[in-house]
Amino acid sequence: MLLQLSGIQKRFGGVVALKNGNLTVNPGEVHLLLGENGAGKSTLMKIVAGLYQPDGGDFLWKGQKATFTTPADASHAGIAMVHQESLLAPHLSIAENIFLGREERHPLGWVNRAKTLDAARRLIEEHHFPLNAEWRVEKLSPAGKQLVEICRAIQHGSSLLIFDEPTSSLSDAETQEVFRIVRTLRERKMGVIYITHRLEELRAVGDRVTILRDGDTVHHCPLSEITNDRIIQHMVGRDLGTMYRRESRPPGEERLRVQGVTRKPILDNVSLSVREGEIVGLAGLIGAGRTELCRAIFGLDPIDHGIITVSGKPVHVGSPREAVQHGIALIPEDRQKTGLATALPISHNLTVANISKVSRLGWLLDHPAEKRLTADYAAKLRLRYDSPAQLAGRLSGGNQQKVVIAKWLVRGAQVFLFDEPTRGIDVGAKVEVYEVIDQLARAGAAILMVSSELPELLQVADRIVVMRQGRITGELPGHTTQEEIMKLATLHDCGALLGEHT
Amino acid sequence: MLQRLLPFLTLIVLFVGLSIASPDHFLSQTNLSSVVRQTAVINLMALGMTLVIISGGIDLSVGSILAMGGLLGTKMMAKGYPIGFGIFIGILTGSACGFVNGILTTRLRINPFIVTLGTLGIIRGVTLIISNGLPVHEIPPAFSYLGEGTLLGVPFVLWVLVFCAVAVHIILEHTRLGRYTFSIGSNTDAAYYAGIPVAFHTTAVYVICGMLTGLGGMIEASRLMTGQPTAGQGYELQAIAAVVIGGGSLRGGEGSVVGTLIGAFIMGLLSNGSDLLGISPYVQQAIIGAVIIIAVSFDELRKRKIT
Repeated sequence: MLLQLSGIQKRFGGVVALKNGNLTVNPGEVHLLLGENGAGKSTLMKIVAGLYQPDGGDFLWKGQKATFTTPADASHAGIAMVHQESLLAPHLSIAENIFLGREERHPLGWVNRAKTLDAARRLIEEHHFPLNAEWRVEKLSPAGKQLVEICRAIQHGSSLLIFDEPTSSLSDAETQEVFRIVRTLRERKMGVIYITHRLEELRAVGDRVTILRDGDTVHHCPLSEITNDRIIQHMVGRDLGTMYRRESRPPGEERLRVQGVTRKPILDNVSLSVREGEIVGLAGLIGAGRTELCRAIFGLDPIDHGIITVSGKPVHVGSPREAVQHGIALIPEDRQKTGLATALPISHNLTVANISKVSRLGWLLDHPAEKRLTADYAAKLRLRYDSPAQLAGRLSGGNQQKVVIAKWLVRGAQVFLFDEPTRGIDVGAKVEVYEVIDQLARAGAAILMVSSELPELLQVADRIVVMRQGRITGELPGHTTQEEIMKLATLHDCGALLGEHT
Repeated sequence: MLQRLLPFLTLIVLFVGLSIASPDHFLSQTNLSSVVRQTAVINLMALGMTLVIISGGIDLSVGSILAMGGLLGTKMMAKGYPIGFGIFIGILTGSACGFVNGILTTRLRINPFIVTLGTLGIIRGVTLIISNGLPVHEIPPAFSYLGEGTLLGVPFVLWVLVFCAVAVHIILEHTRLGRYTFSIGSNTDAAYYAGIPVAFHTTAVYVICGMLTGLGGMIEASRLMTGQPTAGQGYELQAIAAVVIGGGSLRGGEGSVVGTLIGAFIMGLLSNGSDLLGISPYVQQAIIGAVIIIAVSFDELRKRKIT
């Protein structure tokens, strides 16, 4: 047995993050660690990696009682972690990052650059990563950084590797490569702990599962003995019933029209339209230009040419400010970075785009009115919160997303651009986000929704527009299939690329 | 909660401690008035700095702005213009300098630390050029009322300070500008995405900081009865320290007027108390430095507990 945790506990101040963490990992096993956000997965893994110390419970490493007080201790013992958010030094090269802290050295103590570079090149080649060892890390996409993290973890000769949602920012091809690496590690008799939110990924790599909920270990078993539905039930602690299915209604007037929008080299003559009460899904692979289209419509990036029309009137959108004035709203992919001020109260986040609504004489804030407004919208969107003064950052992912959406409702936006609206949100809370989006549509909003999760698009969208390499390659009805979408997204038949879906 | 009150408790402990250690001198009206007069200038600058720091910026040039405001204001008086006009010019000069800082940070998108490090030198240099390095002495005697006068038994500067503090507090907590200041400081991108005119409001914040500093410059000039081109050197660090001791965060999005006032008075009392107790000014500097670090580390501990 490689790792055996039993009854691990961890408190932060008065908050119990973990009350009973149990996990056993054998050599040559890929162990899936599942649970909603806040279930205690990351806390447990940070304890294993030496970032936190447990308050109680038994921690056995290779049969011995272990206490890791620093990440270096854990790393020394042979435990490596591929972090979800990149922990790389952006100004150093890929090679330097991979060997950071373990550089090849001359006898005199200085760093042997050539040797380091060589070793990095061999490592990258071995795994067929699209990287060059000399590149600076800051120039890499999130996916590229993730690959560097993986290189760094595997070169170390560890016996246990922890992957914390390694594929959340990767393309399909890169995801397949990560799976291949995980399988190689398994063949080398290493232990792998794999955390993921994507249920469809499970069966491609996993051997056994452990499911956490509210800091407690609720289930563990071989993966072959459990269905995805049962997994979800264990994760959320209740039966989700049938999958969410939105009721389609006939749309109204055209609200948003995009004609020939071009921004070289990312967007090439893109045209589409969204009607009142309609949800149009925007599908495509990473880098197809979906996010860039949203950014262009919202005035974040200038366009070379093309016309954007809102409610029949051509509008000039040179900045988000102008977009907002025309009733366009963007719910960005990265909530924490661009959607919310996490250190400010919920109420501030809610009214920031339309402060006049809670002002007297146009400039004096009316705090009671702001509180009432916050309570109103919170009730409308079924926000789970303590008080309007609660900091936005302390809400769960799903509730944070509701605050971002509510901000635009307060503003009275008519056109909503959703960019990956459920990324990083719990399975249970995703449905609530879909319901809010549906609620918007029913109230007459026009919605353009980018998503990389095809099942999600199929559930929510009235129509699905597919992009590939900056162009629109086709449009499909909402009840199409994943295979049809992928065909347009890649322009060749690729059922194989999808892997097994259940 | 206890830790949030810590700066306030520190201030009270200092006050009580000094009252016990030096009852005759410390509690005398002359001494208390002089503490108020000495700290008023730093306090005013710190109020402006509070806004700037909450917006996620920093203004290292306030010491130089103070000198330029004081110099140009007194120069006007020396040329025979009325006192009120001189004060107005001092404030206007400060505002103009703040405007330059704001424009440079927002339009050229240069980090405010760099911009104001640059303007610190430029404004000081220009002030020295204008004055030829010489102080302005020909000031009407009545001007001393601003810094040294008494109204209703209280130093006049205290009235000015209270007025400005209330005004900045209202701006921060009750106006759109204040709300946007917090938003910009807490997350600039999110503020921009929400359609807030970020550049305009950031500039406004620097202008207000310059305005208050210009006023501070006039008070300083009134207390010394000269317009010194070398005035205010190192004041920027004291102003920043006051904000930080009072719970402001250099990462932006956090800070308050009450906190800043407490921070400034803690430093004022430390220096006054050391004088009274005969502690050398060399030791004073070290004490104040240590207080800054202790205050901020307690604040960090508090925040870590929350998140």
